[in-house]
Amino acid sequence: MVLDDVTFDVTDGELLAIVGPSGCGKTTLLRILCGLLPPSEGTVLLEGRPIVRPPREVALVFQDYSRSLFPWLDVLRNVMFPLGRLGLTRAEQAARGEAALSEVGLNGVGRAYPWQLSGGMQQRVAIARALVARPEVIFLDEPFASVDALTRADLQDVLLGVYAHVGDRRVSIVHVTHDVDEAVYLADRVLVLTPSPGKVAASIEVGLARPRTQAATRSSAAFLAVRNAIHDAIARQQAQRGEVR
Amino acid sequence: MSARAVARLGGVLFGALVFVAALAIWEAWARSAESFFLPPASEVALRAWDVWPSAGFLSAVGASLKRLAAGYAIGAITAVSVGLAMGSSPRVRRMLGPTTEFLRALPVIAVVPIAIVLVGAGDAMRIGVIAFGVFFPVLIATVDGVRAVPLEIRDSAALFHVRGVERSVRVYLPAALPTIFAGLRTSLSIGLVLVVISEIIGEGDGLGVYIRSQQTLFNVPEMYAAILFLGLLGYALNRLFLVVERRALTWHYGAVGDPVR
Amino acid sequence: MNVAGWLFVLAVLVLAEIAVRLFDLADSVAAPSATLGAFVDGMSSGTLSDELGRTLGSYVQGFALAVAVGVPLGIAIGSSRTIEDATAVVIEFLRPIPAVALIPLAILVFGLGTPMLRFVIAYAAVWPILVHTMYGVRGVDRMLYDVAATSGVRGASRIVRVTVPAALPSIATGIRVSAAIALVVCVTAEFFVGTAGVGAYMQAQQAAYRLPQLYAAAALAGLLGVAIDATLRSGERHALFWVGEEQARQR
Repeated sequence: MVLDDVTFDVTDGELLAIVGPSGCGKTTLLRILCGLLPPSEGTVLLEGRPIVRPPREVALVFQDYSRSLFPWLDVLRNVMFPLGRLGLTRAEQAARGEAALSEVGLNGVGRAYPWQLSGGMQQRVAIARALVARPEVIFLDEPFASVDALTRADLQDVLLGVYAHVGDRRVSIVHVTHDVDEAVYLADRVLVLTPSPGKVAASIEVGLARPRTQAATRSSAAFLAVRNAIHDAIARQQAQRGEVR
Repeated sequence: MSARAVARLGGVLFGALVFVAALAIWEAWARSAESFFLPPASEVALRAWDVWPSAGFLSAVGASLKRLAAGYAIGAITAVSVGLAMGSSPRVRRMLGPTTEFLRALPVIAVVPIAIVLVGAGDAMRIGVIAFGVFFPVLIATVDGVRAVPLEIRDSAALFHVRGVERSVRVYLPAALPTIFAGLRTSLSIGLVLVVISEIIGEGDGLGVYIRSQQTLFNVPEMYAAILFLGLLGYALNRLFLVVERRALTWHYGAVGDPVR
Repeated sequence: MNVAGWLFVLAVLVLAEIAVRLFDLADSVAAPSATLGAFVDGMSSGTLSDELGRTLGSYVQGFALAVAVGVPLGIAIGSSRTIEDATAVVIEFLRPIPAVALIPLAILVFGLGTPMLRFVIAYAAVWPILVHTMYGVRGVDRMLYDVAATSGVRGASRIVRVTVPAALPSIATGIRVSAAIALVVCVTAEFFVGTAGVGAYMQAQQAAYRLPQLYAAAALAGLLGVAIDATLRSGERHALFWVGEEQARQR
């Protein structure tokens, strides 16, 4: 059994982070939430309706950007990919694609191919693709785990920028990560998941003011307090399971 | 039995069922159409039952296999030797480049009349043609195999002062063996086809001659039976080869895992 | 420009020319000079070039048939376990049967003309296409299907926009291998039937003992093979521009 009892809500416009060690079923949980995997028990409700297959209102950013972007399409076409079913003209699709690319800070790379870009830029393309169909919920599966630390900080801020920008549309973001600091930096609320079988161990409000910055926010006392609370929750879990640190 | 094994067994049975259904359709169609060229499966089966074990047929098959063995051995051994040389030396590769590219793309049948004029329509021609057809796939495979030998192994050879022919035989050959075997297996099927082709032309005995004689006699069921035997023979040789390959390459499979065929 | 390679070719041809003249081998081997003469003659006068045209006609028809059948069937088999199971035994049974062994039978059934050639060529060429397409489709990165699912791309649209492009490198290899096999079978069948095409021309020249013409036809067949392969490889590089880069990056 990968996941035990995982029950939680995501409110409109919330940025929720899910934290847990490797092997606690985070990716499985995400696939279930997206509708890619049917749960053996339980339901996923989107605005009160149960989902059966990936709903149109949902978008997913994968960890391995190099495998999730289509190598035979240029960046713009990759970003435009989800727009096929919306009945827009080619010109409208291209315009939306370009707009999504500017939101993630990539202007003028539309004609390049994914493999010509750096890792950080490729992940931005993946985020732009997730944005382009105006989803209501965006899921991210450890999206910054495959890039170096400097790029990671950059991408975190890109995500915050996106979140701020679409905030008026009440877009929710569910961000799965193993990095506690990242979770606290980004989120409104952090869910702590236990190792396999995954269970919700704690739900911790972050309550830090926005906009957040790498330098100021991360060194604030409030940040450290939340961070420590999460680490405590994790440690308590490990103690309960008789693990030695 | 595990769930997966049951599922696999179900799949195989399903396939077998479809096959039997196809045979039944063949049977029904042939009986109703009563076409000269489409004998019912049952008739072909009966004829095969008679013909396959018969002394004449078996000796023909034996003759074909002997030629195949001779041509295959000659072609494979020369190909591996030349391939080792080409693979280890960029200069040799460049020199022989255009020639091999051309000869590789040349349809083997073109060699047959040339060979007939040179050595007549007998066994020398046949074995030569088979050797020619077997040569190039094995050559390409050997060159590819040697070129793919990891840098670390080459460096090790250099550090241990192993050079030249000794290096080719003791280091490159074993390292390239998996790839070479893939080429050897493909060439086997090609060789079998060439035996038949070279026998359809010219005099003598063999499976190809048998097929041709049945054609002149308009013995259609016998032709079907012979062609089916050929298919079976090809399949059996391929399987046999895989057994040999597995034995020879146990070290490789240990490291890399069984290949998907 | 591979100077060493072409020099080698030149050297071999010169040596052959000398050997033929010196040892008076013209009865068994055609001298390169005579072959060249016969080639130029045959192509300009139309005897050889006409046969080339006929060969190309049957070849293209048979090969196109193989692609038209092999690719869709390969996609179907690669995408569906059920279809794969259903067809597995039949395919394993038919595949080892060499197309050239079917030539005598095909002659009885279809006669000596283009339909027979079309059938035999298509039968021979369909297997590599089928197998490579199947493996290509099966090997598509499942993550790309997840991307399609979350982008609302399903069914036929998914096959066209994701499955085929992702499987294209494998399909292209299958087509290239098939193209070579198709040529061999085409010329072989022509050789046996003896009515039209480069193969038939070769057979006739051999029977009439006109060695330079025979060698010229053989050279033409070889050049044809080289040309077809080069064309397909170049087309592959263009259509599959992303492959080398992606693999290089993954390395």
